Amino acid sequence: MANNRLVTRRQYLLSTGAVGTAVLAGCAEDEDPDEIDDEGNGNGNGNGDDDGDLEVVHWWTAGGEEEAFESLVDGFESETEYTVESNPAPGGAGAAIDAEVQTRVLDEDPPGTFQIWPGEALRTYTDADALEPVGDLWEDGAEEEYLDSVLEVSSPEGDVVAVPINIHRLNNVFYNVEVLEDAGVDPEGVDSPEAFLEALEAADDAGYVGLTQQTQEPWGVLQLWEVVFTGQHGVDAFQQFLDGEAAELEAEIEESLSLVEETSEYYNEDAGTVSWDEANADVITGDAAFHHNGDWAAGEYQGADDFEYEDDWDYMAFPGTEDVYTMVMDSFVMPANNPSPDATEAWIEYCSTVDAQERFNPPKGSIPPRTDVPTDEFPPFLQDQMDDFEGSDEQVTSISHGSGLEPGQASEVEEAFAVFTDNWDPEETTEDLIGIF
Amino acid sequence: MGFDIRRLLDRIRRGRTDGSGDGERTLRTDGGTTSSRGSKVSRLRHSDAVQALPFWLPPALLVGLFVYGAVSWNLLISLTDWSGLVQPDYTSLSLEMYRQMPDDPSFIAAFRNTVVLLVAFTVVSLAIGLVLAILIDQNIRFENTFRTIYLLPMALSFVVTAIFWSWMYNPSTGTINVFLSTIGLDFLTMDWIGNPTTRLAAIIFALTWQFSGYAMVVYLAGLRAIPDAHYEAAKVDGASSLRMYRRVIVPQLSASTTSAAVVLMVFALKAFDFIFVMFGDTPGRSADILAVMMFRVAFSRTEWAYGAAVATVLFLMALSVVAPYLYMQYKRGDL
Repeated sequence: MANNRLVTRRQYLLSTGAVGTAVLAGCAEDEDPDEIDDEGNGNGNGNGDDDGDLEVVHWWTAGGEEEAFESLVDGFESETEYTVESNPAPGGAGAAIDAEVQTRVLDEDPPGTFQIWPGEALRTYTDADALEPVGDLWEDGAEEEYLDSVLEVSSPEGDVVAVPINIHRLNNVFYNVEVLEDAGVDPEGVDSPEAFLEALEAADDAGYVGLTQQTQEPWGVLQLWEVVFTGQHGVDAFQQFLDGEAAELEAEIEESLSLVEETSEYYNEDAGTVSWDEANADVITGDAAFHHNGDWAAGEYQGADDFEYEDDWDYMAFPGTEDVYTMVMDSFVMPANNPSPDATEAWIEYCSTVDAQERFNPPKGSIPPRTDVPTDEFPPFLQDQMDDFEGSDEQVTSISHGSGLEPGQASEVEEAFAVFTDNWDPEETTEDLIGIF
Repeated sequence: MGFDIRRLLDRIRRGRTDGSGDGERTLRTDGGTTSSRGSKVSRLRHSDAVQALPFWLPPALLVGLFVYGAVSWNLLISLTDWSGLVQPDYTSLSLEMYRQMPDDPSFIAAFRNTVVLLVAFTVVSLAIGLVLAILIDQNIRFENTFRTIYLLPMALSFVVTAIFWSWMYNPSTGTINVFLSTIGLDFLTMDWIGNPTTRLAAIIFALTWQFSGYAMVVYLAGLRAIPDAHYEAAKVDGASSLRMYRRVIVPQLSASTTSAAVVLMVFALKAFDFIFVMFGDTPGRSADILAVMMFRVAFSRTEWAYGAAVATVLFLMALSVVAPYLYMQYKRGDL
């Protein structure tokens, strides 16, 4: 008996060791990505070609964005034989997606496709040859329906590597109609950034918050500076800044920073403690006159009760940028070493179609990049935006939303603006901005 | 698996008997069996370390690979100039990344804030925890309830606390300013989070709220371990309560202080979530800490090498907190 028990204990000992070794071996083994897929445990996503699955990494996990993505997936699945394995990396505006996608691209285990801002944000991947050209995959004739500026943003190195699916406009100012009437401000007359400042002052005199803003995260003031700069000095000067020639624009940069600094006197008292949607709510409650933001802010007005477009709220292009459309876009790409090339190709093609963009954009609150998408499905506000888009003379990208500068520089610009919202010193920030390039 | 444990076991048993000479066992005078102690191999095989191999080896390998292996790899990366989504080049290693740090205002601010956060948060949490523990130790009613209430915040995630503290700090509608003006302290109301001069203090206050309950529990355990006789002796000698605690009780809590301080400091170094939820990856010079900077540099700018260097600095800071503690324990023979 005693001997038996001893054996049992030894057996136990040995199996512990054996299991431990096996676990270690399993971990250390450099597994081939395809193999992982076949076993169905590559990050919990079976995305092999065999089972017709397409893994899509994205950050659309709430509200209208989620609805938009689901509707896009439904369309794709009914048009093709593939199924979508949605792998969300939640976090507003992609706060968490970089870490996920970049490490997987480095490990040569990329997802089938992932969401990314087109333009300079692609540079991180194109520099490493991590994206396949997708220009030939677009639906026949789709390219002609895209504006040249949008195509250009999709092809930072010459080849088209992304398919844009939606466009938000950044250079809007939203306002509460009643508040403006009460303050005696005529929106038609606000035609320059300087006139905008006067309008803020008038609203302030009438007892309202001039401009609701969030300064808790630096992008709010950064995007305001972008449109103020464009409004004061034009698209060409702004493009020059994006091209890295900031040193030649010292006076212009400082001038627009000073104007932004002056607007800060008319912000809501709690600007430093709120997120953009909390700030935007002040327009709905009638406490504030203006809010500058991308057109995603309109989603809140549309969701509010008894708050109608044109009667209660309205918008105008940021003063001085009437003929400009500052674009904030999302796109999909085809990573190299693709685990599901056929499904990804089908996805890219589908995203370039009218059907996809018509499904995706109304719930997302953005307009389709294709100019031939019927407008019936879109709410009146977005129909107006679509007209503005087609009627715009110039389209430009933005730094705060990824397409304008490559990510390293964009992050440094954000940091400069984090300092700016602390000290409101245009001179120092001008130097910081010039120092980045 | 095609792997038979029994057969393996047999082979090992055979090996063991082979090792002890010709297989015959000689009797010892006390009735036990002796084994040949001649060969080194055999002695090694019978040592405790080898016999216990199945127990310590797997965890040692796992920890070695995933903790120390990762730390070493991080150190190696920090010596390269790796950036972008290409594979790193390990051929030319240098301390270039560390040399950049003193000239980087962003790093200096993050480093300064990390140290301030570490020291202020730990000291204040310990002080509050000690006071709470002493109060709770007075045989009050509902002791368990109070203990739970004070400890509960620690169970909340940083994501939750960051969001509701930013609501509470709201200068126009937040609880804190509303409370201050209600009791007539209007002059104290401030834009706590929005103003760069109070921002870090506001963060430290919120973190203290969350973790002083932990210090309380550690101190309470320490207080309970002190024999009643010490209190009685101090009382008999005519010491006031304040004097008794200052001279007799608190000095006996040094072990509790050290262990609570180490845990709190490590928490302070990891306050990433709280700040990231409030400000994103670019909190500005007044609230940036090394953990957030590391994330920003590595993942927003793909400057892996610089991010790894920041991580190494953070690691050394954590080490300098933990190492003296471990050394003290070792000296005391607790390790």
